[in-house]
Amino acid sequence: MKFSLKLLLWTVIVLALALGFSGFYFVNSVFETSMERETGQAMEESRILRFAFETAALNAPAKYDVLADRTIEEIARNLENGGSSRRLRISGENRQTIYGSSDFGGDGVLLAQTGQEENTWQVIRLGEQYFVQTCMATRALDRILYLETMRDVTEVFKERALGFLVYRRVTVLMLVLGTFIMHGISSWLTRPIRLLTRATKRMAEGEYGYRAKKVSDDELGQLTLDFNRMANALEDNIAMLQKEIQAREDFVAAFAHELKTPLTAIIGYADMLRSHRLDEEKRFLSANYIYTEGKRLEAMSFRLLEIMVTRHGDIKLQAVPAEALFQYLSGMYANNRTMRLLFRYDSAMVQAEPNLLKSVMVNLIDNACKASEPGGVIEVRGCLKKKKYRFSVRDYGEGIPKEEQEKVTQAFYMVDKSRSRSRNGAGLGLALCAEILALHGSRLRIDSEIGKGTCMSFILQGNRLEGDGSRNG
Amino acid sequence: MIKILIVDDEKPICDLIDLNLSAAGYHCTSVQDGAAAIRMIEEGKYDLILLDVMLPGVDGYDIMEYIRPLQVPVIFITARYEVKDRVRGLKLGADDYLVKPFDVVELVARVEAVLRRYHKSGHVLSARDVVVDVEAHQVLRGGRLVELTNKEFGLLVLFIRNKNVALFRETLYEKVWEGEYSGDSRTVDLHVQRLRKKLGWENCLVTVYKVGYRLEVPQ
Repeated sequence: MKFSLKLLLWTVIVLALALGFSGFYFVNSVFETSMERETGQAMEESRILRFAFETAALNAPAKYDVLADRTIEEIARNLENGGSSRRLRISGENRQTIYGSSDFGGDGVLLAQTGQEENTWQVIRLGEQYFVQTCMATRALDRILYLETMRDVTEVFKERALGFLVYRRVTVLMLVLGTFIMHGISSWLTRPIRLLTRATKRMAEGEYGYRAKKVSDDELGQLTLDFNRMANALEDNIAMLQKEIQAREDFVAAFAHELKTPLTAIIGYADMLRSHRLDEEKRFLSANYIYTEGKRLEAMSFRLLEIMVTRHGDIKLQAVPAEALFQYLSGMYANNRTMRLLFRYDSAMVQAEPNLLKSVMVNLIDNACKASEPGGVIEVRGCLKKKKYRFSVRDYGEGIPKEEQEKVTQAFYMVDKSRSRSRNGAGLGLALCAEILALHGSRLRIDSEIGKGTCMSFILQGNRLEGDGSRNG
Repeated sequence: MIKILIVDDEKPICDLIDLNLSAAGYHCTSVQDGAAAIRMIEEGKYDLILLDVMLPGVDGYDIMEYIRPLQVPVIFITARYEVKDRVRGLKLGADDYLVKPFDVVELVARVEAVLRRYHKSGHVLSARDVVVDVEAHQVLRGGRLVELTNKEFGLLVLFIRNKNVALFRETLYEKVWEGEYSGDSRTVDLHVQRLRKKLGWENCLVTVYKVGYRLEVPQ
């Protein structure tokens, strides 16, 4: 069952109960007031009648001071005809009827219950009519007689029935009206829920960008807001996952491409060597191509392996003296005569994994060499500032276009494919650097301008050396 | 002489194609980047262009746009083997698609097939005293008709197209029987024997020890 329908149903039930109960109570209390008034009047009338009877009895000619039944009958008949058709009955000491109006109609129950000092009454029904029957004792001379009267109260009962009827009609009308109004209200109240439901359905069908509209400021509005916030987070995650999948697919495609080119050369030249009778020059050319392309495959597979190991490896950072690193690097490039490498560094202890850090620096310097013309200057710097040690490698080569800067850390990405390939690059160096720096909680920063050169830098945690004892790292 | 332009950013691949197609009797020129390729296409008249899809600068698909109005047949060479890439290339008007890594024999065969489709190379091949009409499926030796079975005919075409090249039994089997070579050489040997006898090529269709056969033709 729908929530709005439930809300509607329960409201209507409560409304019906409330209307019914209050109507019954109201009509009934009006009725009881009327009955009380009628009963009071009946008793009053009865009392007046008794007085009249007693007065008449005193004035009647009595033999031996005894009130004869015949005299009583006479007085009663006079009393009966005195008002507009009174109904009365007079009974003797032994509750035997002495006189009764022809249409009296009351029973003997009340008479049997009434004592000499009591005034009693009861409501009885005769056919379609209702009466208040009263009974009281009266003393006339030495006799004790019982006087009973009847008062017609049908009107009061009719009023009650009419009251109920009117109230029932009003109730039905109110219920019908209330149902319509409540239907509107409940569907207005549950609108946020319906909108949310629609949003969840749309999202389940894959429309992750769909959002529920906020239509109220209450808890449901809050729920809508929270839901949308959750959906945003979810959408971001999905987008991120898709991006990751795309990156992986690109990686595999690029890998396949990079693998196939040297393979084609190796297979092709090997086939030529075994099938053709080649002259000395061509044989050397073929064998040399097989060798260089094989080397390229080797370098690529090593780099890939390094990336994979780095990706899954858990490294231990330790304090590495920057001096040792820079000495290692300058030693390594000491024989390089084509480039002018300038090293300048602050002495400090850097938090890093020493071999991986070396690998990053070597990669960055190699890249700088590849981007520069022979004889170009490459500045390798280390600079300590407020516990942050900044490494940078700057070249004055060709630079990286702005739109390429984000992509250079992707595996197999090369800004100038043919050029970097001719220098034996596989497009994996910067990808490896990015992975290693991520492990160090750092990232590679690239500042580059076309034609002016590139500065690649990253920041690690560093500390000033304490004392002179630790200088020979 | 038929002129072929090779566009590939990898020098080793260019040289490989160049060497093999030159050996098959074509005149080859190679170029390593897209912009230069467009210049050369506009300047020179080529009968066939072998085009690498992934090029630095201008890529193969872009170059294709320049070539289309010139009505020069094109074979794409690429490392991508996805169907959508092939369809894209063929839709752009490429005549064939060669996926890296490729066999040299296959390269020569495809080049010849495309050229024949454009009627640029004759459908008549010849070696020594034998003339083969590829389209009519007819073999003449010294002017007299020689009856060959389908497989023998296929072998003969393969040998003539690769003169002085040692063809491996597995290559022969894969190209003529179009199936995976299982190591059983008897089928190939038997057909070569019969071909020799029918053409009288006992001396020039020589056995290469442990490898296969070579058709020797004086250079």
